[in-house]
Formats: sequence, C-alpha cells, structure tokens
Amino acid sequence: MDGPLPLALITASLVFAAVVLVYVALARTPDWALLGFAGLIEAGALVLLVIAAVQVGGVDLAGGRSITLFGYLLAALVALPIGFVWSLAERSRGATAVLAVVGLTEAFLIVRALQIWPS
Amino acid sequence: MTSPRTSTRTGAGRVLVAVYGVFALAATARSLVQLLTKADEAPLAYALSALAGVVYIAATLGLAEIGPAPRRLAWGAVGFELIGVLTVGTLTVLDPELFPDATVWSSFGAGYGWLPLVLPFAGIAWLWHTRPAPSGGAVVHIAN
Repeated sequence: MDGPLPLALITASLVFAAVVLVYVALARTPDWALLGFAGLIEAGALVLLVIAAVQVGGVDLAGGRSITLFGYLLAALVALPIGFVWSLAERSRGATAVLAVVGLTEAFLIVRALQIWPS
Repeated sequence: MTSPRTSTRTGAGRVLVAVYGVFALAATARSLVQLLTKADEAPLAYALSALAGVVYIAATLGLAEIGPAPRRLAWGAVGFELIGVLTVGTLTVLDPELFPDATVWSSFGAGYGWLPLVLPFAGIAWLWHTRPAPSGGAVVHIAN
C-alpha cells in the first residue's frame, strides 16, 4: 500500500472519468479502448486488494478500521463491473456518463482506503 | 410498459440511478460498520445513517424501475430524503453537539460535496420531467 500503485490508480480513475466526459460531449458510445482502460484500472484494484491483504498483518489497524479498509477495497473492485453493466445496457449519452460517475467513485474509494492505511 | 419519455431509468435517469446507487451502498455500508463496531458512541447518528441508507436504496430501486410501484416508491424516497437532509442539516448547523459523529445529512451534506442536498432536487425534477400524461391516454400534439 506504500508504493506508487494507489496514487497511480487514483490518477488513472480521474483521467478515465475525464475521458468519459469527452466521449459524452462528442456523443460517442463506449468502445474497446475505453473498456481496456477500465480493465487496467480493475486489474490494479485487484492487485491493491491482494497487497493490502498480505500487508495488513504487519500494520496497526484498531477496531473496525480493517473492516472499513477492505470494505473500500472490495467496493473499488466491484464498482467498475457493476457500472459497466448498468451503462452498456443502453446506448445514450446518459448511459455513457454513468462511467464518469464510476471513475470518480473509484478514485474516491481508493483515496479513502489510503487515508485509513497507517503510513 | 413505460415509454422512453416516461421511463425514469433511461437517458439522464441512468446517471441519476448510478449516483443514488453509490449513495445507497455508501450510507448502508458505513452505518452497518458503525452499528456493528461502535454502536454505543453515537447511536442516534448511526441509526440516522442507516435510515438514510434505506431511503437511498428505495430511491435507487424506484428510479431504476425495480418493484411493483417504482414511481410511487421513488417519489416517497426522494420526498423523505429532501425533508431528511433539510431537517438534519438545519439541526446540525444550529446545534453541532446533537450528532457527535457525522451522518450523510449533517450540515446539508457538506462532507459529501453537497451532493446529498442536490440529489433530492435532481430526483424530484427528473420524476416531474418524466411524469406520465394525465388520464393515461395518448399524448396528442396540436400544431399551432
């Protein structure tokens, strides 16, 4: 959790949300490039979850804070797939914009997970 | 069946459902963790968070047109949400000691980028925008 991965994921998620907004502005529907970008973020979220699970034994997380930490990391793992299913069921600007909400949520979830992790 | 014009889950409604879904998950999960790990610290605040979570779930389901009477469910949920955020927001601004731990609706949702205050208005506007034509008949457009 101390490496560059969390920050890279936060940045990638925000860039993803910005790219989606460009798609919405141009009335473009999601394509394979966008899906691939999301796939990279998803893979990163999975790696982050594994890293946290491996390292959590070595840090001091009192009370319910480890539950909260893994709550955020698991939410970050499921947010993208659920968002894509909800978005791709329809072809409209609104449906594409759902992916921007997903990107922002993803960034927020990792920021919160990072805040809980003792540095 | 609902037509695209009166459906609350198509077009911009899809974004609204997504945002409500995020809040439903966030408020519910947060209150569950709080109630399970430290219920005695601020029981009123945590119970209120749980109530907010249920309201957001109801609004999400209603706007996503899941269930027998989704439009009625959505109206009830966003109406309750508006009253909730205005009441709790006002109370927490007047007496910050009332809720020792923050809830989504504290200070009109300032801790969540004011979204909890904006959402019910967006929900009501969307439900009004997509309202079915009166008497359930076909809409007749008369050219001037």
